[in-house]
Amino acid sequence: MQSSSTRSRILTVTALGFCALFGAMVVGLGVGPLPMSWGHIIGDVASHLGLGHSTLDSLQSTVLWQLRAPRLVLGLLAGAMLAVAGGTYQGVFRNPLADPYLLGVAAGAGLGATVAIVQIGDGLSTPAWTPWLAFAGALIAVSLTWAVGGRGTSASLVLAGVAISSLLTSAQTFVQQSSHSSIARVYIWLLGSLGGASWHSVWMTLPYVIVCIIICVAAAGALDVMSVGDVESRSLGLPVERVRLVVVAAASLGTAAVVSSVGLIGFVGIIVPHFVRLLVGSSYRHILPLSALIGATFLVLTDTVARTVVSPSELPLGVITALIGAPMFVLLLRARRESLS
Amino acid sequence: MSAVDVRHVSVDIGDAQLVRDVTLNFAAGQWHTIVGPNGAGKTTLVETIAGVRRPTRGAVEVSGTSIHAATERLRAQTVAFVPQHPIVPAGMQVRDYVGLGRTAYRSLLRGPSTRDHEIVSEVLNRLDIERFADRDVATLSGGERQRMVLARALAQHTMVVVLDEPITGLDIRHQIDLLEVLRREVEECGLTVIATLHDLTLAAQFADRLVLLADGQVLAEGTPHDVLRTAELADSYGVTLQVVTVGGSDVVVPVTATRQGIVPTFS
Repeated sequence: MQSSSTRSRILTVTALGFCALFGAMVVGLGVGPLPMSWGHIIGDVASHLGLGHSTLDSLQSTVLWQLRAPRLVLGLLAGAMLAVAGGTYQGVFRNPLADPYLLGVAAGAGLGATVAIVQIGDGLSTPAWTPWLAFAGALIAVSLTWAVGGRGTSASLVLAGVAISSLLTSAQTFVQQSSHSSIARVYIWLLGSLGGASWHSVWMTLPYVIVCIIICVAAAGALDVMSVGDVESRSLGLPVERVRLVVVAAASLGTAAVVSSVGLIGFVGIIVPHFVRLLVGSSYRHILPLSALIGATFLVLTDTVARTVVSPSELPLGVITALIGAPMFVLLLRARRESLS
Repeated sequence: MSAVDVRHVSVDIGDAQLVRDVTLNFAAGQWHTIVGPNGAGKTTLVETIAGVRRPTRGAVEVSGTSIHAATERLRAQTVAFVPQHPIVPAGMQVRDYVGLGRTAYRSLLRGPSTRDHEIVSEVLNRLDIERFADRDVATLSGGERQRMVLARALAQHTMVVVLDEPITGLDIRHQIDLLEVLRREVEECGLTVIATLHDLTLAAQFADRLVLLADGQVLAEGTPHDVLRTAELADSYGVTLQVVTVGGSDVVVPVTATRQGIVPTFS
């Protein structure tokens, strides 16, 4: 039911979003200690499809397909999922400060990962069990939150999330402090990174992210209705409790899958949906799909910065997402305010 | 014919009994206004009739549908509700807001249908608000906003509309405008309106029937002429009220201790 100006603005933002995504993928694959030109990358991709011959040597091909490509795909998945989950939470709780970690996913995953690193690890490396325990911790945390506050209002669920998060964070700190030798690795995990990406982690994350994003985007119309609050939504014919259960479960499951693979990457889930909202208005039918597009682009670009700016070291991804995203958001906010006034 | 049957409805919240064993029949195609002092239980009663609040005891039937046993979707197709303080989400366009009234008729996975678009346009036109259909809801004045909220309720295409204090915060012109729109819907479309109002004069002028509620109980029910002249009315408000007739309409005037004797009389 949108006006023609709104429609053309959405089309423009979508077109620009796809261009930005394409650019981010080019940069993500091509930039690094072993530079590769865009022509070489296209040639190599074409050769895998049986068209022509690759001009990359075997080292370059290995770096491209075993390091950068899975890292890029995992970044796309993580960025899209975190942004969609953040937008979904903001809609379902009518709370602009909601992020994907609102109901305890971060605290639960953090505790699971810390237990894996401190209790199971050998003190030298992060154990292979870490993603699984992080995933289990995230799901247990959200289930606990739902058990405590799920039968009440949205506010009671959010408050339950705050309580469970605090409890699990204190437990995580306690476990972390019990082993000084592991503290650095726990911190690295908590700050988030795509450095451990592999095709295995991509395949482990992909089904959750695809299914959960589809559910959240499909529920976007219901989130628009919920913008008038629980009581009015119910009087308009929306089964509020059922919708809330389904979308919270989908957003939390997808976030848990992402967090277990890449750690805690902050900022994407809270800022990207707001950024999109400033561009295309308040309907979740537009906010959620575009958040997936722009969240994916944003995370790939920030990851490229994180892994190249102090190469061969890497900066924590969460630091870069905040460092780049916050000024961008402030600039857009100011521009919008000036255009409205 | 009765559009809404309220049978022995009581609503308790904690130890407080907000509505006490209320039984009422609201005739179809008429305007019923519930009046009473603050804390009488008016809001609780209309929320219960609209199905957004569950009664502790008793039942409500709207157009033959047991409203608290119905699914959300069926309930929204049976009765529309306008709360006292509707939430108006900034950033949403008026057309989209009115379109929310079509929620009960469409799949959540699909967007609005051509029929939904037609109904929304028709309602916007009928309430004379199509000129700001593309505006952000946050930019509307109080009067425009109330019309928009009413338009959302009418887009639900129900035969019963329940409104809680629909003219709160409006100046007298916008109060009359909104009430006249509603009156037209009653007379031209056969709508059944159940509304709470604080203004006894406007309640008397626009409603077909009045219900006087105090302390959760029905003290009087009947035509505005009869209810305004009951002793219970003044008792329930705890003030002296005088009903005078101006141009054939009843006007309720409070008589305060300091202004005794200066109430004008009209013939």
